[in-house]
Amino acid sequence: MSEALLNVSRVSKTFVRGGLLSGERIAAVDDVSFQLDAHRPEIFTIAGESGSGKTTLSRMILNIEAPSSGRVSFDGVDLATIRTAAGRMDFMRKVQPIFQNPFESFNPLKRLDRYLFATYRRFAAAARQATPESAVDETLRKVGLSLQEVSRRYPHELSGGQLQRIALARALLSSPRLIVADEPVSMIDASLRISVLNLFKTLRDDLGISTIYVTHDLATAYYASDRIIIMQRGRVVEAGDARTVLKAPQHPYSRRLRDAVLLPDVPDGAVDASDGAIDLANASERRT
Amino acid sequence: MTIAPATQAGPSDSARPILTVCDLKAYYRTNHYGIKRDVKAVDGISLTVRRGEIYGLAGESSSGKTTLIKTIAGAIRPPMEVVTGSVEFAFLPGYDGLHRAPPAEVARIRWRRLSCIMQGSMNVLNPVRRIRSSFVDFAYPHIGGDRAQFEQKVVAHLARVRLEASVLDAYPRELSGGMRQRVTLALATICRPEFIIADEPTTALDVVVQKEVLGVIGGLQREIGASVMLVTHDMGVHAYLTNRLGIMYAGRLVEEAATGEIFRNPLHPYTKRLISSLPRIGDDTPRRGLEGAPPNLADPPSGCRFHPRCPLAMEVCRHQVPAMLESAPSHRVACFAVNGDDRA
Amino acid sequence: MAAILRDLLRHNAEFRIGVLLVGSVLLLSVLASFSPFPPENVYVVPPDLPPSSTYWFGTTSRGQDVFWQLTFAIRNTLLFGCIVAIISRLLALVIGLLSGYSGGWIDRALMSVNDTFIVMPLLPILVLFYFVMRDRMSWLMLALIMAGLGWAYDARLIRSVAMSLKTREFTQTSLFSGMSTRQILVQEHLPYVMPIVFSSAMNNMVWSIGLEVTLAVLGFTDINRPSIGGMIYWANQHTAMVAGVWWWIAFPTIAVVMTFVGLFLLAISTNQYIDPRSRLGRVGDVT
Repeated sequence: MSEALLNVSRVSKTFVRGGLLSGERIAAVDDVSFQLDAHRPEIFTIAGESGSGKTTLSRMILNIEAPSSGRVSFDGVDLATIRTAAGRMDFMRKVQPIFQNPFESFNPLKRLDRYLFATYRRFAAAARQATPESAVDETLRKVGLSLQEVSRRYPHELSGGQLQRIALARALLSSPRLIVADEPVSMIDASLRISVLNLFKTLRDDLGISTIYVTHDLATAYYASDRIIIMQRGRVVEAGDARTVLKAPQHPYSRRLRDAVLLPDVPDGAVDASDGAIDLANASERRT
Repeated sequence: MTIAPATQAGPSDSARPILTVCDLKAYYRTNHYGIKRDVKAVDGISLTVRRGEIYGLAGESSSGKTTLIKTIAGAIRPPMEVVTGSVEFAFLPGYDGLHRAPPAEVARIRWRRLSCIMQGSMNVLNPVRRIRSSFVDFAYPHIGGDRAQFEQKVVAHLARVRLEASVLDAYPRELSGGMRQRVTLALATICRPEFIIADEPTTALDVVVQKEVLGVIGGLQREIGASVMLVTHDMGVHAYLTNRLGIMYAGRLVEEAATGEIFRNPLHPYTKRLISSLPRIGDDTPRRGLEGAPPNLADPPSGCRFHPRCPLAMEVCRHQVPAMLESAPSHRVACFAVNGDDRA
Repeated sequence: MAAILRDLLRHNAEFRIGVLLVGSVLLLSVLASFSPFPPENVYVVPPDLPPSSTYWFGTTSRGQDVFWQLTFAIRNTLLFGCIVAIISRLLALVIGLLSGYSGGWIDRALMSVNDTFIVMPLLPILVLFYFVMRDRMSWLMLALIMAGLGWAYDARLIRSVAMSLKTREFTQTSLFSGMSTRQILVQEHLPYVMPIVFSSAMNNMVWSIGLEVTLAVLGFTDINRPSIGGMIYWANQHTAMVAGVWWWIAFPTIAVVMTFVGLFLLAISTNQYIDPRSRLGRVGDVT
């Protein structure tokens, strides 16, 4: 029994672009390593911009893609050795995803409760004694919804925030140890983001579930994470405690990222024109 | 740090607003197999934009801001319909909106007086032609003169958006997203329009590039003296760039004031919650978001549309629509709790 | 089901006309059961009589009543078309979905087979089959052969849809909800593929009937069993157009044209109805 819940060890992923003879090798992920502790649940952020490799890395952790080199192990089991359907099911019971686009996470033509009941039947029915409805309802309440609100609804009838909560509830039904969330709040309204992020915190504190939070938004990363790694073009440029890294980044790229974050504040003393008119005499001269 | 244009009193015609929207209502009316639906996306909006100012329009999903901007830009297609109200530009007097003006008039003002930068516009560049040809196709008919002079003007304008002349020889796919967006900005502003509408101009860009492009927009605006209507859901962008800010909720304006006022002293319960739910690096206070879900515009709540989610909701909020009243100087709010519930 | 039909009838003109046309043709085929004359018998009525009140569509040079012959002919022809369409749709669905979803060597193997079938020239092959099998070539045999030849093009179409569906996030959600491959294909992906299946079914019927008529006119099928093509074959054998017996050719042709146009209209109107995008406009609320 190893101590690490998740062990990402020198993982790389290269894609070949172009033909057989003149292909160009692109390292989407380059020699990344980190570990999550089995006994200390946390929210671990993988931060970076587009092209940084964070999504590819998260897909390898979910076993949707295989690394070109290096190893990803979960609970002591190397993901590359999982070949049987039973092994895959066992892995999916313990590691569940949340995707970026809440409206794409569910089939627009089908009712939402289908996924909840399917997950329950496959992963949870044996363990629990309650009926499917009560078990699903109980889990939905954990995320602030109820079965009555969700039952018989289609995805486009609900808001992005509600859909992400349902996605979270679905992920919780199998009682996972790890949730891998790829930009879970970037497509939700700003006023609803905080409640979803607070949910991740509650899961960590009350249920001991760790979350890997993949994002480009450093402000939400600051609010929600315990540890953070910052990726640039496949490589990790800075890693450490989230508060420390984000308040005082060391690496030049991290600094650039941090400085580019727009504050939701207009500091006192800045000139903000409540009138807004500029010198029109000068301006009109130069008009063609 | 914010970018703000210099405040100076201008000549008297600066008092006349460049855009006046009066009680505008625009609905989506659909009729599929006998099921009729009216989505009340814009339901009674009145606002003005002054010359030379950057007016921000903030709102979340189902706020109606995209419909509002489309209506103002004249991009009205079925099933969208303007039910009532007017959109009047100072440079096109006498018409209730671009959709009511004759096409010749609209063609005359497009790109010369009114310019639009819509969402995803960095992808409108023709991928099989060089950037130069986009400028020639687009701006040369308006600017005229001989080609050498035109090219000089283009190069000078590209410098304003911090692009080199070599960009003209490139194909769109050779440029990054941020560069393409700046080319689009240059194209939209080369004729020095008086009014620029920008819908989510930086949403698809990376954070570092976004800040650059916003700086370019601010610089351009200062130089050519245009008014800008900037629509985005990103409050950080509003804080960075705009002078005045209007907050939309469920098809109506709920608050409008100078940007600094909105962030320092929001009055409407929705705005208050919105501002306080924005995380900031360095700030560890626990935060709460809004409860409930955004309203359904096909069947919105009666009275004040925010009342189901409002912590201050009173009986009157359920039955009456609060009027947009000036609660503090230059600070309008539509809320009974703030203004008192005297029926106007 | 009834609600769907009522919706379509009320709001869609194409559907109404399509129902009318196909309905009339179906009515004709049902009437075959009431025919006073067995279909293979000849010289049961005076030959070469033009349409009149006793013989509504006239009589043929072989002494058969055109009207009652037509009822049998259209019934057999429609039956033929339906069998080909159903079998080839099933083949196209299974192969297309499996290929698109699985990828890898399964996809490559199936698509090589598929492409072979696409490039095969159909008419020469059918003629070849006829010459090899001669009298043993019953219409059922012909139907099976054509079904085996007519699935390839649509299988590729379905495969492209399946491939794009695989990349959508809800497929991953289904996987992590523990659904099996069969469940995902049938419950999640099939609704997106149905519009193609439907419209290609109508197309397929039109194609198979057309081919059957062609073969029959050339004499390459069981000409004793009445079919539209068979009637035209016999009319040509008796040089009907020259002899002035125009009703023998006109009525079968009108019937088959009505069938084609009716099927086409039904296809496009039901397609529009079950298209996922328009379905969303009717389910729940419009955004």
